[in-house]
Parts: sequence; C-alpha cells; structure tokens
Amino acid sequence: MNKHLIREWHFMLRQSYVLVLLLCGFLISSFSVLTGLSEIDSQRETIERLKTADQLDRAEAQDKHNAPGALAYYSFHLTYSAPSNLAFAALGERDIYPWKHRVRMLALEGQIYESDAQNPELAQAGKIDFAFVISALSPLLLILLFHDLFASERASGRHELLVTTTESSFALWGARVVVRLFAIFISLILPFYVGALINNVAMTDVLILSLWCLLYFIFWIALSLLIGRRESSAPRIASILIGFWALFTFVIPILGDLAINQSIHSPQGGEILLTQREAVNDAWDLPVQTTLNAFTATHPEYIGYKHENEGFDWGWYYAFQQVGDQVAEPLSIRYREAALKKHQRASFVTLLSPTLLIQKKMTRLAETDALAAMAYERRIREFHKTLRMTYYPWLFSADKFNKSNLDLLPQFDSTTSGTTYSRKNE
Amino acid sequence: MGSSKQDKTLIESKSLHVQIKDTSVLKGLSFRVAKGEIYALLGGNGAGKSTTLKTFLGFNQASSGAAFIDGLDVSSSLASVRKKTAYLPENATLYPHLTAKENVEYFLSLAGLNKSASEIENTFDLVALQKDAWERQLQTYSKGMRQKTAIALAILREAPIFLLDEPTSGLDPVAIDEFNQLVTELASSGATILMVTHDVYGACQVANRIGLLRKGELVGEFEANQNERIDTEVVHAAFAQRQP
Repeated sequence: MNKHLIREWHFMLRQSYVLVLLLCGFLISSFSVLTGLSEIDSQRETIERLKTADQLDRAEAQDKHNAPGALAYYSFHLTYSAPSNLAFAALGERDIYPWKHRVRMLALEGQIYESDAQNPELAQAGKIDFAFVISALSPLLLILLFHDLFASERASGRHELLVTTTESSFALWGARVVVRLFAIFISLILPFYVGALINNVAMTDVLILSLWCLLYFIFWIALSLLIGRRESSAPRIASILIGFWALFTFVIPILGDLAINQSIHSPQGGEILLTQREAVNDAWDLPVQTTLNAFTATHPEYIGYKHENEGFDWGWYYAFQQVGDQVAEPLSIRYREAALKKHQRASFVTLLSPTLLIQKKMTRLAETDALAAMAYERRIREFHKTLRMTYYPWLFSADKFNKSNLDLLPQFDSTTSGTTYSRKNE
Repeated sequence: MGSSKQDKTLIESKSLHVQIKDTSVLKGLSFRVAKGEIYALLGGNGAGKSTTLKTFLGFNQASSGAAFIDGLDVSSSLASVRKKTAYLPENATLYPHLTAKENVEYFLSLAGLNKSASEIENTFDLVALQKDAWERQLQTYSKGMRQKTAIALAILREAPIFLLDEPTSGLDPVAIDEFNQLVTELASSGATILMVTHDVYGACQVANRIGLLRKGELVGEFEANQNERIDTEVVHAAFAQRQP
C-alpha cells in the first residue's frame, strides 16, 4: 500500500495545478487564522483595558459618593465574555452578539438590549475566519481537486489503459484520493495547528476539530467521486458539484432562516428596551405607593419600607427601576424563548446542510455560538440580581451602610470555561 | 508469415452479443486467436471493433455469449484476465508532463511490477525509441514515439496477450513499418495479438488472420498461407464490397 501512496505523492507533486491549489488553500487558511488571532487578541486587549478603566471608574465613584443609592447609580460594573482559546478559529456569533456590557444597578433589560456592536457593517458581512474557510471555501478547493479525477483521464484517453494496468482499484484511485486528501487537509489545517499552538488550545479540542474537518472533507470528496463516476464531462461534473455547494452554502441557510423567522415570532430587542424605559419614565408621574406596591409584590421582605419624604428617594428610584424590569419581563422572556427555539430549529436545518453543520460544530466547540451568547446574557442577569440583592438591604431596610460594606459587592469574573461572579473576600 | 502457430487458444469470442443502451453492437461474434498468432479484426466505422476490444478488457458486459482470455471468462475473472493482457489504446496518451522512463515506471508500479533501469532501457532499445528522448517529457514526442513508449510498457508488463486498438492510426509510413516489424517480433517470441483496425493494408502486412467485421457480425475470415502475407487486394475487395 505504501508504495502506491508514495508513487501517487510524487506524481501529485509533478502536477503544477494541484500545487497551485494547495498553495491557495494554505494561504487562505493562514490568512483566516491570522485574522482570527488578531480579532481575539483585540477582544482580549479590549477586555483588559476595560477592566482597568472599570476599576478606576468605580473607585472614583466610591470616593465621591457616600449614599448607597448614589454609589449604585454612579458605579458601573464590567461584564464580559472572554473568548475561549479556540475562538480564533471560529469567531461565530461574537461579531453579532455583544460580548461586553457595563451594567449599573438600574433597570437591566434596557442595558442588555442596547447592542454594543462597534461596526454593524462588518458584523453583517462577517469575518473570514478559519470556520468560514473550512465550511464555505474548502469545498471549492475539494471540488477543483477531485471533480475530474476520472474525467480528466477519460478525456485524455488514459482511463482504460490505467484501469487495465493497475493491480487494484486502491493502487490507482484509492491512493490518488488518499494522497490528495492528505495534501489538502495539511495545507488547510496546518495554519490552524500553528494558531492553536500560539493560543494554547487544548489537545482534545484540536483533535475534535481536526476530526470534524476530516469528515467534512470526506463528505465532499465522496460526493465528487460519486458524481465523477456517473458523468463523463469534467465541466458538467464541476457544475453539478458547484450546484450542491451553492445549495448547502446559500440556499438551505437562507431558506432555513426565512422559514424559522416566519414560523417563530419574537419581540424585538428595541421593543423590550422601549417598554422598560417607558415603565421607568412613567413611574416619575405615578404615586410613589403604586410603584412600591409593585416592587414589594416581588420583594415582600421590604414591605415595611417607608418613603421618607415626598421628594426624591433612592429606595423609590431603585424600586421603579426594578418595576421597569418587571413590566418588560414577559417580553424579555418571550424574546429569550424565541431565541432558544430559533436556535433549536436552526439545529434541525443544519442536518440538511453539511456546511451549516460543521459551522455549528466548530462554533459550539469554540463557545462562540448563540448558546454561548445566551449563557453570557444569563450570567449578566445573575450578576445583576446579586448586585441588587447586595444593595437592597442598604436601600430598603434598616441595615446600616458604611463604605467598608462595598467589599461585599459582587465581582464579575470571566474565564474561558464560563463566566462566574463572586463577592470580594469570600 | 504463417497460419495459426500453435493450437492453444488464448483469445476466444463465443457467440458474443453486446448491447449498448438499446442498440445491439455485437451480434453473435465468434472467433479464436491461438497462441503466437496475430489476429486483425477489420471493419469500418461502427462495425463493433472497439466494442469487441472493450468487452475483452471488461468495460462492456456481454448480454449473451462470452469472451475468454486464456480460458478465463472475462466477465467473471476480470482481475486475472487483466494481468494476462497488455492494452495499447488508439491514442497512446501517457502523461505528457512525465518523461518516457517516468511514464513507464509509473505504470509498472501501478501494475505492481518492479523493473530495473537497464530492463527499461533495453526495452526502449527494442522498440527503437531514440536514446536522447528517454529523459524528455512526452509532450515533446511525436505520435510514433508515444506509441513506441506505450509498446515498451506493454512489453515490460510481460503479458502474454496484447490487445491493440487501431495501433497504426495516425502514424507515418516509416513508423508503421517499424511498428509492424515490432509486432511481428513480439508474436515470434510467443505473444498473442488481437488488433482492431480499419487499415486493410496494415492488417494484411502484419496479421496471420483477418476477421472482417460488419455491423457486429463476422462476415469473413482471411488466413495467410505459409510464409506469405494475406492478399491485400482480396481483402480490400471484400471490405469494399461489404460496406453498406
């Protein structure tokens, strides 16, 4: 077997068009890995910069203000979803969903649905990451390499001589396929391995991703060979394969997206934002007790809270922030349920398109998919809830507040395995 | 030239019927080629010559009847049959970006054979391929030189049976003479040769026997007398007369 592989390897190296294709694959893959590494570095730098700025801002606010209400109002808290080590290979939804939020103890829904996308145009176009190269571009290289495996030999009149000369099918076609598969796999995956080494990606993740890529390549090769066996004209074979590529890469994703959006109705983020803000703004004109009643309905432990005077009071202010979230909550829940349902339906659609399937597998592995974005949003909500639970006793009960209590404030912490929050000194 | 040299039949078509799509291309074709014999299957366009050859190579299935190589049914023993046959296509298009030596080495490796450089060079000498061309890419070769390279390959495969498809088509007269001489030498050394051709003169020059094929049927056979060639005029007359 080895002699056939070695022979076909040397044979392939003599075919200049194959070498050009392999070089193209290597360059495109290298570019995508560099793009991914640069994007992830930039996100990490942004997070580090924001972390420093966040601490300085909060320290400044804590110096200036003494009342817990004012401290809560002027203190921002950075939350972020740090990119995983593998994120450089599959940027996924990180250019669509926000991965950083500075939240205050005000109503949360509006803060969450204020998108922080820095460049919407870029977000729309997407970035050429490694996942894009593998899922969308590599099939084209594979089609170019494999579509005329038989047809070129038929067209040049060598097919029958080859078939009658070879000692077995594997000696000829099998060895050619294995050698070309190996060459294209290495040319595309090698830049990823270098990127993975630079970014300390876990070996298991590297192996799993490699396996997915290999299976994806085998699918396209099998399709090319299947059609190549049945058809004799190389341009016709290439046309059919390009048709499949367009089907899997454009038609199914677009129709799937349309069908999902038609079948699942979801409120818009802006609608939630507006509902919450209107509720907060309306509260200024409502009787204080109306707001407090709505607040204590969800926080009965503060039923004894007394509004001190007819004017402004921090407890009342935060109560109507809370009520603003409560008013927007049904919409927000519907939005999140719809997002999850859309994601689940999209998972079914991926079964119809290997291109979508490998993208899904890669973004899941890299924790850059919609599920990761939803998990980050959940962690913001949990963090914000803890922030409220820390401040509320100082605002609504007789608990004495002094500045040393600020050590009890939760700290948002993000790691590649997930974001957690904790309280200082715990 | 002589008639059947030895009795053992190495190539046999027995009431062979081949249908391609809805068309009957071969209609009960029967002939035999004995060991060491050169048999030319002569016919015009669409007579079924190439279909016959492709059936012996296993590319066409017989709808009835059978094709045998050294007693083996082609349809059931294809791998063994292919080891015993060396095929020379009409346009011996080997790989143009490889040299003659590289081409031969490549195809021999495919066949699982390992020949030394001297064996290959000796064979190139045998087929009269100029020495200065051995290391040149085939894209610089004339058709005759490519044909010689392909014959060298067929010889190096050491197959006892040669199946030749229009082997002299497109060759100049000198190259045809060289080719005929080479085929005659091969037969003298024991090789059995089935060639399909529409070249009456060429077939008469080289073949021991000629089968005249028309619309998938064998309509006549001509045999050389001892040490004499088949009479070209007789065959030509039959060939012309029987054309539609």
